[in-house]
Amino acid sequence: MERNVIVAGIGGQGSILASHLIAEATIKTHDDKYNIRVGETFGAAQRGGAVASHVRIGETVYSPLVGKGKADLILALEPLEGLRVGVPYLSAEGMVIINTKMEIPVDVKVGAVEYPALEDIVGSMDDIGEKVITIDGSRIAATAGSSKVLSVVMLGAAFASGLIPVAEDIMLDVITQKVPPKTVEMNMKAFEMGKEAYFAAADNKELAG
Amino acid sequence: MSVKILQEAGKRDLLMGNEAIARGAVEAGVQLMAAYPGTPSSEIGEVLFEAAPESDFYVEWSVNEKVAFEVAAGASFVGARTMVAMKNAGLNVAMDTFMTLPYGGIKGGMVVVVADDPDAHYSSNEQDTRFAASYAEIPCFEPENQQEAKDMAREAFTLSEEVGLPVFLRSVSRISHASGDVLFDQCEKTRNNLAFNKHYKLPYRWNVYGPPGAISKHAWLHDVLPQVQSLANKSPYNSTLKPEGAKTGIIASGLAAAYAREALSRLGLSDEVAFLKLGFIYPLPDELVSSFFDGLDQVIMIEEGDPVVENMVRSLAKEVAPLVKISGKSYNPIFNPYGELNTDIVTDALADVFGMELAADDKEKVREEKASLVVPRSSTLCAGCSHLGSYAALKKALQRYPEDEVHIINGDIGCYEQAGYGIFASGNLASDADSMAFKPDSPYDMLDTIYVMGSGISMAHGQNKVGYKDGKVVAVCGDSTLFHGILPALMNIVYNQSDITFLILDNRWTCMTGHQPNPNTGYDVYGDEYPRADIPSIVQAMGIKSVRTVDAYDQEEAEEAISEALDYEGPAVVILEGECQLQKQRRVKKSLAKTYISVNECDGCKSCVQLGCPAIMFDITEKKSRIDNVLCVDCGLCMQNCPNDAIKMRRR
Repeated sequence: MERNVIVAGIGGQGSILASHLIAEATIKTHDDKYNIRVGETFGAAQRGGAVASHVRIGETVYSPLVGKGKADLILALEPLEGLRVGVPYLSAEGMVIINTKMEIPVDVKVGAVEYPALEDIVGSMDDIGEKVITIDGSRIAATAGSSKVLSVVMLGAAFASGLIPVAEDIMLDVITQKVPPKTVEMNMKAFEMGKEAYFAAADNKELAG
Repeated sequence: MSVKILQEAGKRDLLMGNEAIARGAVEAGVQLMAAYPGTPSSEIGEVLFEAAPESDFYVEWSVNEKVAFEVAAGASFVGARTMVAMKNAGLNVAMDTFMTLPYGGIKGGMVVVVADDPDAHYSSNEQDTRFAASYAEIPCFEPENQQEAKDMAREAFTLSEEVGLPVFLRSVSRISHASGDVLFDQCEKTRNNLAFNKHYKLPYRWNVYGPPGAISKHAWLHDVLPQVQSLANKSPYNSTLKPEGAKTGIIASGLAAAYAREALSRLGLSDEVAFLKLGFIYPLPDELVSSFFDGLDQVIMIEEGDPVVENMVRSLAKEVAPLVKISGKSYNPIFNPYGELNTDIVTDALADVFGMELAADDKEKVREEKASLVVPRSSTLCAGCSHLGSYAALKKALQRYPEDEVHIINGDIGCYEQAGYGIFASGNLASDADSMAFKPDSPYDMLDTIYVMGSGISMAHGQNKVGYKDGKVVAVCGDSTLFHGILPALMNIVYNQSDITFLILDNRWTCMTGHQPNPNTGYDVYGDEYPRADIPSIVQAMGIKSVRTVDAYDQEEAEEAISEALDYEGPAVVILEGECQLQKQRRVKKSLAKTYISVNECDGCKSCVQLGCPAIMFDITEKKSRIDNVLCVDCGLCMQNCPNDAIKMRRR
């Protein structure tokens, strides 16, 4: 078994937290059955720069980075960041879950370049991979209580996809331990709502397709 | 919440490489750790600070790496187990003491952790500091993963005491900043006794100049090295796998071994190629490598950085196996001697060597086509950052001089270095004339030189003393950089009567590496108040006559103070104050910003856009600016820079 997941977003959205939650829950579900690696890029993360966090799970996993064209799941906390990572890394059999809320880069703000249309981003991911799921993760996070739980909403959706080899109770345990105590309830709600959003979007897709 | 690196033995958890190194130090019973923050090494100090209140060791942020190194060395002389950690370039700062310390050796185990940065993700260069370990002739470990990072950090203390030398632990960004599953071991409960021996093993052991002199101490070092080499030959971190009949072998060290293993597995060659993994790389385990050559026709060298192990292997091969063909990064290169490796690169290179055809990616065309949709997301200074105000004031002060003057702005290292990233520039080469006539639009095109910490001021001084007269000569630095390496240079511009303008952009924190406190912060690492260093008094005491301290958010005063400094004959310093907004905003409950742009009064001149603030957005269809009220912190800089007074603040 080998599973390659990339969480893509911008600094401050929680992509590194999400990838660590996946990795820690995997270790707690399977103990030493798999090697786990998480490759992170920090640098400009705090200032709204692009952040991609690679999670790798498998018996013969040694490198902290996913190979080109080998991502089974891309969790895009922001559409453009999903595209940035998806174009080189998404596997032909892979899935992308996209939060549709755009965060405008400074390069667009100063009028130097244009932000691509959402349908072009989704279309590109569809052309490269097997399945694209879009959810309004930022709105769901706000409903759950705060924009800060976006990464856990997306984690709920990722869990629902069945591509993350973790037990649900362990996943929830790890989230509980890792988030500020006051926000546990909000995060549990966010995870549940993320799951539901995934199933709803997947059902819609089936009906449409 | 409990401290992650203090979990009990037998636990398995996800650790970042830097956390793993810190855990290794805790397991070894470290007694003192000193560091200066530098990405990608900073978290080693950060997590040890987190663990310190529940443990029995001392940690400090020193003002620079040389100081940190000497703090650790001094503590080792009295018997303590010590660790010092830094980034690649940090070692250059510590180099003076680093090169001399091995002549006298150490007493308590001393571990020197250096995090290199292949691909220069966070650094000015890609230097491979393993050269420094061999230059100083001290043992060098290079971990393949986070588990080894922890184990080697612990083992390094024991080795250090066994051979009487500091031990070098070379990490890289993708070890230090990557995470992996790590099994925790027992923590040493006892601590080394503190005692000082004036004549330890060698006469005047702690003084290389004293009789019998430096040469005999260098000779002592060479007496010890064979013992170190025999330990390298037996080290569990060096291991050989030799399938029967294998004619080709791979020697891979550190993280590169991980890439090599994965590449072999992808190519289905794991059972056909001989594999020597090196983790204890200096001195080269000569016997192990010699016996690895037996029966092989060719050896492929895979390592992250320069051909350091490769060149040692080549020189050994010349003696023991001259017919074996060696490829790597120096002769018969199959890898670039720059940038970083990954599994894809190693797979391609190995496929080439073995004449294998890799399965084609049938999505290649689509990927190429869709890549054009991806637009950049440049990093910028933060919304309302005081540096935006400092640079805007500097720009306006320089505009008072004739158009044809070519001013030189020498930069330094810190968040403010982004003023040299040129993110909105086209990237095309300009002619000499165009280049000299260039006037920056945004703060991101302000800095003309950026090298290493503390270098800008003396470069400016050199330009001034040699007689550069085409424009003003300016240097900027931040507060942490001032204490790190600027103070001697500041004394130098006084003593040698420079005529430069020096701006200290004081935002109170060491921000770029993750907001560590420094002598100027006003808080210690645990958030308790601590008296701030008095920068204006320090500068005045050095003999600078023209010193002004201004609020970077008061644009009129800041521009006035910089103008006065530019006109002043002799060295002039302006301290521009304004606390880091990220740190400041953490202390206040943030609501939506009150600043807005009146649509009717905005004429689309882009003066506010040129401030470089990420909270300002230019609408290309409307030809007007807008403010992102989530990002905006109501600092008022754009209001002061709008020629039409179109930017206002709501009263609420």
